[in-house]
Amino acid sequence: MNLISRGLKNSMRSPMRSGAIILMLAISIGLILSMLVARSSVDSKIADVKANAGTSITITPAGVMGFAGGGDPLTSDQLKSIASTTHVSSTTSTLNDQLGTNDTNLTASLELGSFGARQQRFSQTSTSSSSSTTDNEMAAPPAMTPRTTVTGTTNPNSVSTNGGNLNVSSGSTIDGSSSDLVALVGTTLATKNNLTTGSTFTAYGKTVTVKGIFTTENKFQDSGIIMPLTTLQSLTNQPGAATSVVAKVDSSENVNTVVTSLKSALGDKADITSEAEQAATSVESLSAISNLALAGVIGATIAGAVIVLLAMVMIVRERRREIGVIKAIGGTSRKVVGQFVTEALALTIVSAIVGLGLGILVSGPMTSSLVSSQSSNSSNSTGMPGERGARPQAGGFARGVNQINANISQVTASLTPQVFMSAIAITLIIATIGSAVPAWFISKIRPAEVLRSE
Amino acid sequence: MLSVKNLTKSFNTANGTVKAIDDINLDIATGQFASIIGKSGSGKSTLLSMLGALDVPTSGSIKVDDVDIARLSSSQQTTYRARKIGFVFQQYNLIPNLTALENVMLALEFGGTPARQRKQMASELLDKVGIEDDQQLRKPAKLSGGQQQRVSIARALANKPSIILADEPTGNLDSETGKKIFDLLHGLSRQENTTIIAVTHDMDIAGKTDVTFKLKDGKLQS
Repeated sequence: MNLISRGLKNSMRSPMRSGAIILMLAISIGLILSMLVARSSVDSKIADVKANAGTSITITPAGVMGFAGGGDPLTSDQLKSIASTTHVSSTTSTLNDQLGTNDTNLTASLELGSFGARQQRFSQTSTSSSSSTTDNEMAAPPAMTPRTTVTGTTNPNSVSTNGGNLNVSSGSTIDGSSSDLVALVGTTLATKNNLTTGSTFTAYGKTVTVKGIFTTENKFQDSGIIMPLTTLQSLTNQPGAATSVVAKVDSSENVNTVVTSLKSALGDKADITSEAEQAATSVESLSAISNLALAGVIGATIAGAVIVLLAMVMIVRERRREIGVIKAIGGTSRKVVGQFVTEALALTIVSAIVGLGLGILVSGPMTSSLVSSQSSNSSNSTGMPGERGARPQAGGFARGVNQINANISQVTASLTPQVFMSAIAITLIIATIGSAVPAWFISKIRPAEVLRSE
Repeated sequence: MLSVKNLTKSFNTANGTVKAIDDINLDIATGQFASIIGKSGSGKSTLLSMLGALDVPTSGSIKVDDVDIARLSSSQQTTYRARKIGFVFQQYNLIPNLTALENVMLALEFGGTPARQRKQMASELLDKVGIEDDQQLRKPAKLSGGQQQRVSIARALANKPSIILADEPTGNLDSETGKKIFDLLHGLSRQENTTIIAVTHDMDIAGKTDVTFKLKDGKLQS
C-alpha cells in the first residue's frame, strides 16, 4: 500500500461524485479533442489550398475585362518586362479580337440573342447617327450580327477549359510562337462553315489555313478561332500587343513577391491578380474556424482545469482532518500531496479515456458541420462579380477558384497521432493545474488541527 | 526520559496575547504512565500537541532522550513524529477508506519499514491489541468504537515509539470498554517500557496512572 495505490483507492471513494467529475471532465476533454481535430484538419486544408492555389499571375491592361472596358493593350515592352521579372518561369500572352461580317467570310456560329444584341447596341447607334449626317453608301446601317472571337496566343492550350491540354479532335495543334497564317477552329464554328483540316477561310483580308478542329466543353470557345499571337498581332496591326498575360511563378512562396514587383514595374497600366490572392480570400473563413477551434481548445482546457481544481479543493477541504492525521502520524506533506495528485490524475485519466473516445466519435461530424456551414458563405463571397462569359482567360481562373471552394468543403476530420498526443498533453496540464492549488491547501494544513475536538 | 523546562505557548488574539501554556516544568521517566487532567481550555491539548511535535512552543524546551524537539525543523519534526511518537485520539482518527490492517501499515510506511514486512508486522500488532484476523480486513466503519480504538493503539505502537500520546483515549467509549482500553495501554507501558501520556477527564483512570499532572489556566498545579 503506497501513496499511488492510496491515491487510486481514494479516487473511487465516492463513486457518485467521482462519476459526476469524470463525466464533466470527459465532456470537456472530448471537446478539446474534437476542437484539436477540427483545427488540425482545417489548418492542413488551408496549407493544401495555399500550396495548390497555383502559381499563376494574370496581368490584364488596366480597365479591360474580356471585350469590355477601354484603355490600351499591353505593349511588347511591358511583356518583356513581365517575362524578365525574377521568379517568373514562363508567360503566356494572349490577344483577343472579334471578327465582324466585314472582316471574314465565316458565318458566326453563336446566336446573337438578346445578350449579344445589347452588347452591340452602342456601335449600332453610332453608325446610325453618322449615316444620317454623311448620306453615303453606308446609309443603311448593317444589321446587328453575332461576331466570331479570335484568340491569338503563344500557347493554344491556355484556351482549354479543363486546365489540361487543348483537345484537338482533328488535325494538329498550332505553334503559338509562329507567325504563319494558320488557325485552330472551334468545332461548332467548323460545322457551321463546313470547315475541315486543310480548309481555308478569309480573315482581315488574308487567307488563313485551318490546321485543326478543337473541342472544349464550352459553347463560346467552340465558336471561336485560335491563332498564333504574332499572326493575330500583324493581322490586326497591333504589333507586340496583348490583352492578357498569364505568368507562371517558379514556386508558390514567390507569388506575392512577383505580384509586388509586377505592380511596381507596370504601375497603373495593368491589373494584376493571382490565384494565391483568391485562395487567401477563400481560406479566410477557414482561418476563422481554425481560430474558433483554438478558442474552443483553450476554453475547454480552462473548463477542465477548473472542474478538477474545484473537485480537488472540495475533496481536500472535506478530508482536512484526515490530512492532519496523516501528517500527525509522520506522513510528509510531499506524500500527502503525491496521494492527492495521484487521485486527481486517476480521475483525469479515466475522464481522458472516456473523453477521447467521445471526441473521436464527435470530431468527424463536428468538423464537417463547421466547415460545410462556412464554405457556403465563402463560395458566395468569392464569386467573381463582373465576370462575363466573353472571358476566355478568366474562365480557367474562375474554375481554379471553384475547385478551391470545392476542396474547402471536403475537409475531412483527420485524427493524427500529433493531435492525439496534444490532447493527452493538455489533459495532463489540466490535472497538474487542477492539483496545484489543492496541494498548496494541503501544505497549509497543520497536523495540530487533528487534536481539535469536533 | 521526557523533560519539559519553562514551556510557554502564547497566541495572539484580538484581546491581546493569551498564554495557553504558562511556564510549565515537568519530568516523566521512561516507561511511566502519566495522565494530564484539567478542565476544558486549561491547555491540555496545547501541551499534548507540543509534546507530540505537532506544534512549536513560544519558549522553553522539551527534551526527549536529550533531544530538544522544540528546536527541530518542520521536516525533522515529521520524522520525529513518525519514529518516536505514537498518537491515540479520542475520535480514533483512522483513515476511513483503509482497512484496519492498512491503517497500521500506513504508520509502518511512514516509519520507514520495508514494504514486504509491513503486512506481517501490522497483523501481529493487531493481534496483540485483540483485533481478530477477519476484523483486520474491515474498514473502520465496520468496527465498534472499542475495536477502532484498539486499531488506533496498534497504529500508535507500529514504530516502537518512545512516547505514546493519548488524547482522551476513552472519551468516546462506555466505561467497560474504556477500562479495557486503559488496561491495554497500561499493560503496554509495562511490557514495552513505553512512556504513555494520556489527557483525560476520567478521574478513575487518572487515579490509576503512575503520575498525574493537573493543569489550570495553562499552569501546572501541584
